[in-house]
Amino acid sequence: MAGPLAPERTPDVTVDEEADLDRPWVTVVWNDPVNLMTYVTFVLQELFGYDEPTATTLMLQVHHEGRAVVSSGPRERMEHDTSRLHAYGLWASYQKDA
Amino acid sequence: MKPFRARGDEVVASFDRAEAGVLGLLLDQLEQLLDDDDPGGDPVLARLLPEGHRGDPRLAADYRDMTESALRGGKADDLATVRATLPAHGGRVRLDREQAGGWLRTTNDLRLALGVRLDITEDTEPPEDLAGEESHQLAVYYWLTAVQGSLVDALVAGRPGRA
Repeated sequence: MAGPLAPERTPDVTVDEEADLDRPWVTVVWNDPVNLMTYVTFVLQELFGYDEPTATTLMLQVHHEGRAVVSSGPRERMEHDTSRLHAYGLWASYQKDA
Repeated sequence: MKPFRARGDEVVASFDRAEAGVLGLLLDQLEQLLDDDDPGGDPVLARLLPEGHRGDPRLAADYRDMTESALRGGKADDLATVRATLPAHGGRVRLDREQAGGWLRTTNDLRLALGVRLDITEDTEPPEDLAGEESHQLAVYYWLTAVQGSLVDALVAGRPGRA
């Protein structure tokens, strides 16, 4: 299940995605000993438009629990979100929501 | 170094000659590293160009085909931005927000690269002295941490709409 803080996005429905609609894809950020906490918070705000408390909560979830879901939606969108996080050096991946 | 601080719409810092030299060398090394075509061949490159999907090699390969060239291109552009705005013999660095984004991502890549090479964990401490090559590199890592940390703080302080 996507975390309660994951943004809701309107899925771009295409024929081959319809089967996945009840189980969306998610983008996950994984903990990493190098990335600064302030940097992770900043990047989540820049890329996803989260306010500071939301971005901080997600960052702390990454830090303490090892991972956090930062967005959810159709697969193409999650690939795109993952690539934007990779551009900032965050350790991210996308997957089918568990 | 005078750390980054917000100055109107820009962020400014200054670096002394030795610091500018060290940063210039690190940029050269990062550029050489990114010239390597095989992301699996070096753990540093694997960290800078990570897998997009864990557990499904086909999805991971598709993701790499789709994104790696843009990711490499972005890193090359960011690196060029840092080179163009860093005075070779030290001095003042003045960045607009877009240039600051390039500095953020490049200093982060340098820290990630050193982090892998030096096996940095959350328990790693700054070196107590500079005896030996590894302590020296660790000191560089912590110096980059200070540079990047001040840049993040300056960008947050200078956010539009924030007094």
